Amino acid sequence: MRAKKQVNYARKLLEEAGVEPERLRMFNMGASDAILFKKAADEMDKVASELGPNRIGKKEAAN
Amino acid sequence: MIVAEKKPFEEIKGMLEGYSNILVLGCGTCVSVCMAGGEKEVELLASQLRLAFAKEEKNAQVDEATILRQCDREYFDEVKDRIDQYDVVISTACGAGVQLASELYETKVVFPALNTTFIGIAQGEGIWDERCQACAQCVLGDTGGICPVTICPKGLLNGPCGGTNDGKCEVDKNKDCAWTLIYRRLEKQGRLENIKKIHDPRNYQVSTTPGRKVHEAYKEE
Repeated sequence: MRAKKQVNYARKLLEEAGVEPERLRMFNMGASDAILFKKAADEMDKVASELGPNRIGKKEAAN
Repeated sequence: MIVAEKKPFEEIKGMLEGYSNILVLGCGTCVSVCMAGGEKEVELLASQLRLAFAKEEKNAQVDEATILRQCDREYFDEVKDRIDQYDVVISTACGAGVQLASELYETKVVFPALNTTFIGIAQGEGIWDERCQACAQCVLGDTGGICPVTICPKGLLNGPCGGTNDGKCEVDKNKDCAWTLIYRRLEKQGRLENIKKIHDPRNYQVSTTPGRKVHEAYKEE
């Protein structure tokens, strides 16, 4: 569960910098869980569509 | 080692208001081990600042460097040619490192990115406990290696006080009574007679600030 804590910490860092923390999320699944993977990808796609394009400038995006 | 923690991001960003050429300078020793100001934390802070500035459409250059120790002047050699390029240095060292950076580059603004908290030990992954207050009068030899000045909230040199209760402290019931710990440790070592030793009040003259220590071999004749 250390990875989960680190992802949560990264979400906090993003939020402090003004980036929506919802853009980063951890999902638990097995390597062969194709159905779960698709579900997670769909969920994140929906979140990204609702939030819209990242407002951060091109300079940082290029890094 | 010295344990520190990152200041709130808003405070760090606030300090950098009005500066556009910024060097985030890390320290690779104590604050690196306590995951507050080493190379990795410098990368995280610099990235956070770049993201925040980009969002505010502030035109700022944020660069990174980490030296092995900010409390030793020779380690600054590797960045000495770079520092002049920046308006400001934000240091992720402990208070000593920030002060040496500021002393070496007197015309340069050096801001602290961390709050230095204590001298402590690692208790587990990501957990540190305070163990020493650098009081300059170590009594650990008498107390079974447990520091009453640090572990006892009252800093009692002779204990326990009347507030010890089932091995816990009256100040905080979740904390162990330092003098109960000392009693049990001395008992294990067969040195329980030490508990009766009366310690004189601390001599605060030896712990006035700022302290200076000169090694015997380097003292002038």
